[in-house]
Amino acid sequence: MAKPPEPLQEVLPKATWVVDAEVVEVLKQGPAPEKKVARAGASDTGQKTASQTVKLKIKRVLKGEQVSEMIVEKPEAGYALRAGNHGPFLIDDSKMILGRYGPDSYAFSKLEEALKK
Amino acid sequence: MPKITDRGIANIYTKLETEQRSNPNVKIGQKQALEILAAVGDRAGWSSQSVLKQLEKPGITQAAQVEIAKKGITATERKDLEKILDTGTVPLEPNARAFLEAVLGRTSPLPPPPPPVGNGNLRIDGNQAAGLTGSAKAGDSIEAINLSAAPSGRLTLEDTMVIGKADASGQFKNARLTGDQAIQEGDLIRMRARHADGTAGDWVTVKAAGVAGADTRNAAVAIFRIGLTDQGGGKIGVENINASRQVSEPGAQLQLTNARTGEKTRVTIDDKGSFPAGFTVPGKAGDVFSVAASDGKNNTNFATEVGKLTVPGGAPATGDLIKDPALHKDELNTDGTAKFSTKRFTGPLFKDGPSAKDVQQGQIGDCYFPSAMAALAQNNSEAIQKMIKENGDGTYTVTFKEKDWSTGRYKDVPIKVDGDLYVRSWGGPLYGASLGADKGEKTMELWFPLVEKAYATWKGSYNDIGNGGMSSDVFQEVLGKDGQDLSIKYAQPDKLWSTIKTAIDNKQPVSAGTYGDDQDALYTNTGVHSDHSYSVLGYKEVNGEKLVTIRNPWGETEPAGNGPNDGIFDLPLKDFQKLYQTLMYTN
Repeated sequence: MAKPPEPLQEVLPKATWVVDAEVVEVLKQGPAPEKKVARAGASDTGQKTASQTVKLKIKRVLKGEQVSEMIVEKPEAGYALRAGNHGPFLIDDSKMILGRYGPDSYAFSKLEEALKK
Repeated sequence: MPKITDRGIANIYTKLETEQRSNPNVKIGQKQALEILAAVGDRAGWSSQSVLKQLEKPGITQAAQVEIAKKGITATERKDLEKILDTGTVPLEPNARAFLEAVLGRTSPLPPPPPPVGNGNLRIDGNQAAGLTGSAKAGDSIEAINLSAAPSGRLTLEDTMVIGKADASGQFKNARLTGDQAIQEGDLIRMRARHADGTAGDWVTVKAAGVAGADTRNAAVAIFRIGLTDQGGGKIGVENINASRQVSEPGAQLQLTNARTGEKTRVTIDDKGSFPAGFTVPGKAGDVFSVAASDGKNNTNFATEVGKLTVPGGAPATGDLIKDPALHKDELNTDGTAKFSTKRFTGPLFKDGPSAKDVQQGQIGDCYFPSAMAALAQNNSEAIQKMIKENGDGTYTVTFKEKDWSTGRYKDVPIKVDGDLYVRSWGGPLYGASLGADKGEKTMELWFPLVEKAYATWKGSYNDIGNGGMSSDVFQEVLGKDGQDLSIKYAQPDKLWSTIKTAIDNKQPVSAGTYGDDQDALYTNTGVHSDHSYSVLGYKEVNGEKLVTIRNPWGETEPAGNGPNDGIFDLPLKDFQKLYQTLMYTN
């Protein structure tokens, strides 16, 4: 779903962890969400992909308790994860990945700047 | 449709009628008028082709052209001309009408051309019927800009066009400005000669004469470049907010009328197309000024208004001026009540005309719309300036185009909105906004959020526009001409490249949509998003590699290594073809 990422000032307070991590394995995939009916070629239809359970290898913790590995949930969303995907992950206390596009939601520089405040 | 008897004239007119049916913008201009006159002026021993050559002879005056046509005119041809002028279905440009009427003797003879003008470097003949003719140093390039046409566009005073080169004897003939810069009677043309060593001579400004019977183009006004500031003490400062570009043509008079007091103030535009330094008018914050202009020949009573401007900082009008479109369903509570409220924005419509970088998509799934508007701002900003008008009462009228499928023609759909926008808890707009830090209710540039609001109003609500769509539909609804879609996957790379180049070179908007559905994994970590629409801003070739310049309507997020994170990036054509599904554009 190609809405812009939610404003960081609204998401960051919900994040228990902010980590620099890489997906090492997709452990489980949920059922495919209902397919949206749209004109061929239409953009921003809001089609979501299945939820996933993934294992993350943590390289760096920017916020939260130090961990080296985490199993987290990717909700039904407009992005999908596979092994090798990397970037900043914002994770809430239920181990759910925050941000509309997971690791592609916010740049490290933007996060680091916001965390300083 | 008038019944034209003369075969030569009938052929020309039938062709024009056919063109006009498929493109309502087709008119009889100077070129078509000359073709008609060539058919009128033919006679024994003079074919219409040879008459046309005579009519297009360098340096010929319009009076002489009229005489040539008159020599061959028959009673039948006279009647045909009258039909074209009085009952014709193809509209005539005012100068072409005046020209044809002169042949029928329905207007007074044209005045003699003014004398040549110039300086030591450059001299220009006083008559421009066949183009700009004159003399300079042998080998000089002749540069020109139409100061009467430039205010409507984004040209600076230095954005000249090379229109010709002086030959070995120093002469240049029949040089023409083209496109939006095409010369009309009475236009101010600023020219200079650029020498072989790269230096340039002084400017020479010539008032176009002999192009048509009458000066019918009034001074254009770039109202979006006029900034009003409350200076206190009952004074409003008036300035050109982008001094490198013109507000109007030099010498034009602008009249500002304060709607509250009725007080009128006139000012003469200076040599650079701006207001004199320190120019003020009486008023206070919140006052609305009506702006009218005259070039001394047209609108001399200032009766026709160009537009209205509001001095920022006034108390906004209270109450909801116009019912706002409902929120997207995602922003409604289960009982149907709104999760967000509105705030009135009173900033300027334009800070410096529309630009792609003004556009920022909000929290709504309408990426096809901001990407289309940014593409239009990039390649046809005039279309945006023309579609939105400030009404001076806190409301704005945005005019879209709707196709009547029974006739194939487009009709105007004016939509009135006020400045109320849905806002987040911290005050910034929830949906489309002007990109940048300035989200202030009195300062944010308003054109994009208001056009998006008008689009939602037209279609029913933000929900009706916020569930995906096609940029080509938006191009159609702004420009009034059919949008095109090209399947990128199945296009030959050369065909794809030439389609992008042709559209961009012809100032047409271009967008591209990525794949959706099950292909999201293709995009993770690429910096490009699935199910998304991007503006195509341009193209370039670097060391033989073809690159497409793209913009994310979020105003950020792009593949790594593309400079500042402003959403603008270059993608090799082969990657573009892999990641994007549909190219949308107009011809």
